[in-house]
Amino acid sequence: MLTDIRVSCSPHISKHLSTRSVMIDVIIALAPAMLAAGYYFRAHALLLIGTCVISCVAAEWLCNVICKKPNSLGDFSAVVTGIILALSLPPKLPIWTAVIGGVVSIAIGKMVFGGLGANIFNPAMVGRTFLTASFGVMMTTWAVPYTMDLNMSKIAPENISASNLREFRTQATPLAWSKLAIKNELGADIYSEEQFKATFTGEVGGSLGETSVIALLIGGIYLLIRRTISFHIPLAVITSAFIFATIVYLRDSYTYVPPLFHLSSGGLMLCAFFIATDPVTAPLTRRGMWIFGIGIGAITMLIRIAGVYQEGVMFSVLLMNAVTPLIDKLCRRIPTGGKPGA
Amino acid sequence: MKVSTKSRISFPGGTHPADKKDLSAGKEIQQGPEVTEVAVMLCQHIGAICQPLVRKGNSVEAGQKIGDCDAFVSAPVHSPITGKVKEVALRSHPVLGRSMAIVIEALAHSPTKRPYFNLQDDFDVNKYSAGQICEAVREAGIVGMGGAGFPTRVKIEPNPRLPKDALIINGCECEPYITCDYRIMLEWTNKIIAGIKLAQKASGCSRVFIAIEDNKPKAIEVMKTALKIVPNCGHIQVVPVRTKYPQGGERQLIKAVLKKNVPTGGIPPMIGVVVLNVATTAAIAEAVISDLPLTHRVVTVSGEAIAKPGNYYVPIGMSVEDLIEFCGGVTQKSAKVLLGGPMMGIAIADLKTPLTKASNAVTVLTKEQIGRAKFARRQTACIRCGRCLEVCPENLNPTKIAHAVKHNLLDVAEQYYMSACIECGCCSYICPANIEITGHIKTGKIFIARQKKKVPG
Repeated sequence: MLTDIRVSCSPHISKHLSTRSVMIDVIIALAPAMLAAGYYFRAHALLLIGTCVISCVAAEWLCNVICKKPNSLGDFSAVVTGIILALSLPPKLPIWTAVIGGVVSIAIGKMVFGGLGANIFNPAMVGRTFLTASFGVMMTTWAVPYTMDLNMSKIAPENISASNLREFRTQATPLAWSKLAIKNELGADIYSEEQFKATFTGEVGGSLGETSVIALLIGGIYLLIRRTISFHIPLAVITSAFIFATIVYLRDSYTYVPPLFHLSSGGLMLCAFFIATDPVTAPLTRRGMWIFGIGIGAITMLIRIAGVYQEGVMFSVLLMNAVTPLIDKLCRRIPTGGKPGA
Repeated sequence: MKVSTKSRISFPGGTHPADKKDLSAGKEIQQGPEVTEVAVMLCQHIGAICQPLVRKGNSVEAGQKIGDCDAFVSAPVHSPITGKVKEVALRSHPVLGRSMAIVIEALAHSPTKRPYFNLQDDFDVNKYSAGQICEAVREAGIVGMGGAGFPTRVKIEPNPRLPKDALIINGCECEPYITCDYRIMLEWTNKIIAGIKLAQKASGCSRVFIAIEDNKPKAIEVMKTALKIVPNCGHIQVVPVRTKYPQGGERQLIKAVLKKNVPTGGIPPMIGVVVLNVATTAAIAEAVISDLPLTHRVVTVSGEAIAKPGNYYVPIGMSVEDLIEFCGGVTQKSAKVLLGGPMMGIAIADLKTPLTKASNAVTVLTKEQIGRAKFARRQTACIRCGRCLEVCPENLNPTKIAHAVKHNLLDVAEQYYMSACIECGCCSYICPANIEITGHIKTGKIFIARQKKKVPG
C-alpha cells in the first residue's frame, strides 16, 4: 500500500554524476604526470605533492570551520588544487614553502570568494604566483632528474656551449637554457633531436609535473575521452602558442626558439590540459573557450618572447581568468530558433 | 528481412537516459477496468477553459458534449460514460493545481469501456472535404495527445497567411518508460494512416513524414510495410531518427527531419510545418470517420513500483488511483507517481487526480530511484562545467538562467533567453552538482508571467 507519496519538480531521474566524480576524473588524469614526477625527482617529488594536497585540504577545512560553512571536502576539489599546485612547483622546493603555497591557494585563491564555483582565479595559480613573488630564488632553483648523473659538474651559465648542453639542461629549465644559449650566441644548433626528446620524456630541469609532455598528454587524452574537458581550450592554447612562435621563428630563427620547442617545454602542456580547463575559471560557451584559449596561448608567448620571465603560463592564465566574466557576457549563446522577435 | 535502422538524423544537444521501455513494450493494448466515476476536467488543453454545458443531476450519454467554449484556441470535452452528473466541482489538476471538473457517476450496469474502433475497408479520404475534417476534429475535442495538449484543429486548419507544407507524424516517444505510442503504431497502424491522410487533406501539406526513434525497429518496419500495402501512400515517408531525448519535442523533431529551426517564441506553422502525435492521428480517424469524440485513450502504466505494467485503453477522467489499482497497485510503501514520463512528467500528490487527454502515461518510481533523484541528493555549487550548455537542445545557457532566477534577477534571465526554454529537463538530468536547473527556470517563467499579467504575489 502506498502511504508515502513524494513530489518534486521534473526531471525525476538523473545521470549518476557528481562534482566528486568529475574531480576524481581529473585526479586520475593527473596520475601519469605524478608518476613521471616521482620517477624523475624521486621521494621529494612525492613528498611535495603530499604536502600540497594535505595543506590545501586542511586549509579548506579550517576556512569552513572559521566561516561556519558546511564541510566541502567531499567534492575533492582541494585535492585537485593541491596536485596541480605541486606539479607546478620546482622539485627542490622546501616543504614549508609548499605549505604556504597550499594555504594561500585555497584560502586566498578560493575560500575568500565563497568556495568552489565562486573563485575568479585558478586557485593553484594564485598560490604559485604568491610563492614566485615571495620566494623568487627558491622558485627558480631547479633540480637534476635522478635518471641522470647526479654528479655532473655545475656549469656557469656563461660557459654554456654545444658540448656541455646535456649537463646544463639539468640545471635550468629548457626555456631558461635556450634563452641563455641565444645570449651566448649558440644559435639554433642547440636544438638537437636529443634535446627535443628530453623535453618530451621529461628528462630536463623544470617544475615537477611540467617536464614530461608524454605523461601530460596521456592524462589530457583521458580527460577528453571521458568528456570531462572539451577539446576547445587545449586546442586553442596549443594552436595559438604554436602560431605565435612560428611567426617569430620565421622572422628570426637565430634569436628565437623553434615553435615545437615552445610547446614541449615549460608549463604549456600542463596549462593547456589541466590549468586553463579548470571549468570554474574558464568561459562557458564554445566561442568563449576559443577566445580564452587563444588569449592564454598568445599571452604566454608574449611573456616568453618579450618578457623578463622565461615562463609565461602562470600569468597568462590569471590574466585570462580575470576577463572570463567579460568573455562570457560577450559570447552569449543565441537560441536555436534565433533571437526572439527577430 | 533485416532492416538497418540505426539513424543519424537528430538535433544538436540532448541526453541519453536509459529508456526502460521493456517493462511495457511487449504488452498489448488492453481494455481498462469498468469505472464507477469519472471527473472530466474542463481544461485539458492549451487555450481557453470550457464552460460546462450540463448541471448537477443531469443525465449524460457516453460521447455527449459536456463542456465547450467559443474561443478559437480551445477544444470541447465529452463524457466518456453514460451516467449522471454528480457535481461540477474543483478537482486536482496535474498542471493547474485545482481546476473545475464535471464529475459523472456511471449508471449501474452500463458499460464504461469503449470498444476499439475498427477502420472499415471502404475508407476513402476523398469522401471528406477539408472543412468537414476540421469541423469534426474540433467537435471531437481532439488535442495533442503527446503531452502538451494543443488543440489539433488550430494546428491543421489552413491559414492563408501561413501555407502549410510538411506534416510530421511524431512517433518518437523519447521519454523513458512510455510505450503507448509504440503499441498504437504496432496495433492501430491502419488507423494512423487513415488519420494521416485526413490530416494531410485538411492541412494541405504536400510532404508527410513519420518520425520514429531507431530504438523501435519493429514499429518502423510495421509502418513501412503498411504503407506499401495501403493504396495512395507513396508520398508518406518513414524517417527513423536517432534515439535521443528530447527527440520527440516538436522543435527538435522539425530540426531533425527538415533541418529547419522554429523561430524562438514561435510555433511550427510559422515555417509551414504541422506536427501531430501518432495517437492524435488515430483519434482524428475515429472522429472523422465515425464521429467518435476523444473520450478514451491509451495510457502506459509503468515504472519499477507497479505490479502489472502495461498499456491500457481507459476513459479520460478516470482517476490515477483506479488505474493503479487495476494494475495491481504499487509494490512499495514509498514512491513517486508521475503523470507522464520521468523527464517531463508531473509528480502528483493527490492520487484522485483524473487523467486528461494529454496524459500518455502513469509512471511510478520506487524509493530507490527517488533516492537517486535530485532532491534527495545534496546540491553543491555550480562548477561551471558546461554540461548543461552541451545538452541543451535549444542552445541556451541554463546555468546562467538558473542563477539569475535564484537571485531574482529576472531581467538577466531574460537576457539569456529564458523564455526560449522548452523545459525538457536535460540540464537538471546531467548536472553533476545536482542543481535543479529546470526547476529554477520554470519558476522564473512563472514570475515573468505574473509580472506581465500584473498579478500580485
